[in-house]
Amino acid sequence: MFLLTLSNMGASNSKNIINLLKQGDPKTLEKIYLENREGFINFSKKYNVEEYDAVDIYQDSILVLRENAINGKIDSLQSNISTYLFAIGKYKIFHNFRVRSKFDFEADYDLVEENLDFDVNLYSTNLTKEQRLLKKYYGELGDRCKSVLNLFYYQGYNLDEIREILNYSNKKVLKSQKSRCIKQLKNLLNKNYEEF
Amino acid sequence: MKNFELIDLYFDNSLSPKEQLLFNDLLQNDLDFKNEFIFRKDLKKVIAVSQQEDLKASLGQFENKIQQNSRFMVLPKKWLVAASIFILASFGIYSVKTEYYPSNEAIYETYFQSCRNTIQPVVRGENPNTIEYRAFVAYEAHDYYKAINLFNSVAEPDASYINFYKGLSYMEINKLNKAIELLSPITKAKNLEGKSANFDEKAKWYLALAYIKNDENKKAIEELTLISNQPAGTYKKEEALEVLAYLK
Repeated sequence: MFLLTLSNMGASNSKNIINLLKQGDPKTLEKIYLENREGFINFSKKYNVEEYDAVDIYQDSILVLRENAINGKIDSLQSNISTYLFAIGKYKIFHNFRVRSKFDFEADYDLVEENLDFDVNLYSTNLTKEQRLLKKYYGELGDRCKSVLNLFYYQGYNLDEIREILNYSNKKVLKSQKSRCIKQLKNLLNKNYEEF
Repeated sequence: MKNFELIDLYFDNSLSPKEQLLFNDLLQNDLDFKNEFIFRKDLKKVIAVSQQEDLKASLGQFENKIQQNSRFMVLPKKWLVAASIFILASFGIYSVKTEYYPSNEAIYETYFQSCRNTIQPVVRGENPNTIEYRAFVAYEAHDYYKAINLFNSVAEPDASYINFYKGLSYMEINKLNKAIELLSPITKAKNLEGKSANFDEKAKWYLALAYIKNDENKKAIEELTLISNQPAGTYKKEEALEVLAYLK
């Protein structure tokens, strides 16, 4: 009974953290990073993973954690964040380092059952030439445009939510701002093609 | 062009069945629509990559911080003893110093905070449907970002009293350079009438405070001196003299 309430507390605390991760709150990120780092590296050592490799896997795991927070895949996570983070890490170690012991991995079968996506496609390597150009011009947009487009197209907030977050006085203004930003991006792209 | 909205609804998973059919049809038969769809899809991917690169960079910084901190763990004992004596000694000097010479931060906190409530924008009698009214409501509710947005949209955004409160709003959110930019011209304005009357005096005081928080003591002293040279009864003359004493 006591354990049940403990895990329930864990669940509601997870929800808060997941929301903060969705928003990209830097303090939350740093806190999670610092709190789990040592434990993560220690258990990596059990599988004979060197510290610098462990740090790499750890950082990738955090990227996956954030990605899944944003795309809503862990909205109904029952366990706490650390458990989930470690499960991601174990999955990566198991799949990337061909560790022989399947024991620990199977113990996390519950998490796998919850249909969580550990193997998130971290996109970086797969950009086409056009996409790379688009990325370059996106980077050249002003901060305001980047905020609006990021909140809408990456973090998946709708216009009402974005209006709140960015403190716009009304939705129409925000909508036209978004259109202008997209237009600006397209102009940059067209200018580039014209130069050929 | 209106159909492009369907694309964003698609990404949001909020297409109605009817819209879903229209969406599918356009995607197959309307080349412009298809191209726009690909564009926005690419945009999503590209932003995701940028964000992940940013995140990876942040994680790298956290890692560096950890590496740096661990370097300080290994120090010979002699150094630790010398360091602690030095720290205690300088703490002694420091605590005496702050007693008699408060930091700029402390001055700002004392004088800005306590002054905040004495400026009451006149909201009674205003038409509650104007942007100006809503701006002051936001200001009084401490919703400073909203207030600034609204001040920018009033009928006369260049009025001195509007810029004054906008300036104060910027001070509240610690954007001091912007505040200084707004308050400075008000202090020099002549013939302020009607709603803007007397705001040149008020602006001088707050401008001084902004300079103090921004560590521009020379400029702060200039403004404070101007105030202190005014006849008795001038806005914040006494306080100006007090702060001048701390700064000099």
